[in-house]
Amino acid sequence: MRRWGLLAKEALTQTLTFARFFCLFHVTNHYLWSPTLVFGPSMLPTLNLTGDVILAEYVSHRVGRLGPGDIVFVRSPVDPNKIVTKRIVGVEGDRVTYFKPRNGDSCHTVVVPKGHVWIQGDNLYASRDSRQFGPVPYGLIEGKAFFRVWPPNSFGSLG
Amino acid sequence: MGVRNQLSLFVTFAKEGFEKSLLVGKFFCCLHVVNTYVCTPALAYGPSMLPTINLTGDLVLAERISTRFNKVCPGDVVLVRSPVVPRRIVTKRVIGMEGDRVSYVADPKSSDKFETVVVPQGHVWIEGDNIYESNDSRKFGAVPYGLIEGRVFLR
Repeated sequence: MRRWGLLAKEALTQTLTFARFFCLFHVTNHYLWSPTLVFGPSMLPTLNLTGDVILAEYVSHRVGRLGPGDIVFVRSPVDPNKIVTKRIVGVEGDRVTYFKPRNGDSCHTVVVPKGHVWIQGDNLYASRDSRQFGPVPYGLIEGKAFFRVWPPNSFGSLG
Repeated sequence: MGVRNQLSLFVTFAKEGFEKSLLVGKFFCCLHVVNTYVCTPALAYGPSMLPTINLTGDLVLAERISTRFNKVCPGDVVLVRSPVVPRRIVTKRVIGMEGDRVSYVADPKSSDKFETVVVPQGHVWIEGDNIYESNDSRKFGAVPYGLIEGRVFLR
């Protein structure tokens, strides 16, 4: 009986330590930074097709310090369970000129509405972005990519 | 001797203070996890959801589990991050999910004309219960599902 009590106490202590570690891990992953695996052709040549491990930070989008040129993680407005990586081309009020390379060479200009951003992949030929689904609300931005960790030959910051 | 005593006393106090604040920190951590993943209280005010929610403010409980598992249905009152002002969270009712055909009165104060729209993929159509005083999907269009923050289940 007493042995069970001791065992239970030890299990509880271990669980608490684990829970504390998990808590810290969670807070860092959601509010500071975390490594993320990104893959796909839409951000070539900046990000590789087969997968890069990137450090994403979650501070800038909360304080509103995101601007054109930043690579951001955005929850897709078309599929809410998917997070895509694109570059911000324009913020609210900007006039953005874009073209769809597969649909002839027609250029379109649009003014980004209030509270939205215009995102495009670096590889315009293979990217589903704001040219297809329109400007996305700022609230869908999940984080900003600032550093690449893997593959090691392209280790370095993502300007 | 007196200084050493005082120093050790101070250290004891500091240790106790630290432990207490650690406990408070742990409590806040727990509270935060519950708020983010299970349910959160919210103060909803404004005229756009009359008569369901009062003008001067109602405390509501919103749960975050059904939104995570895509179980939000038409008829639910949800907390949504405004697509126009990203820091603001508004309370509205879901009228249509993706693929639904939604008929609405665009501006009930000026005319009774109905308009119909199909909700695009990945979006929801939200409207306030008080359509005369509500800034909702009739003004800013369907909102992406990812902007839904929680589903209100208790007032």
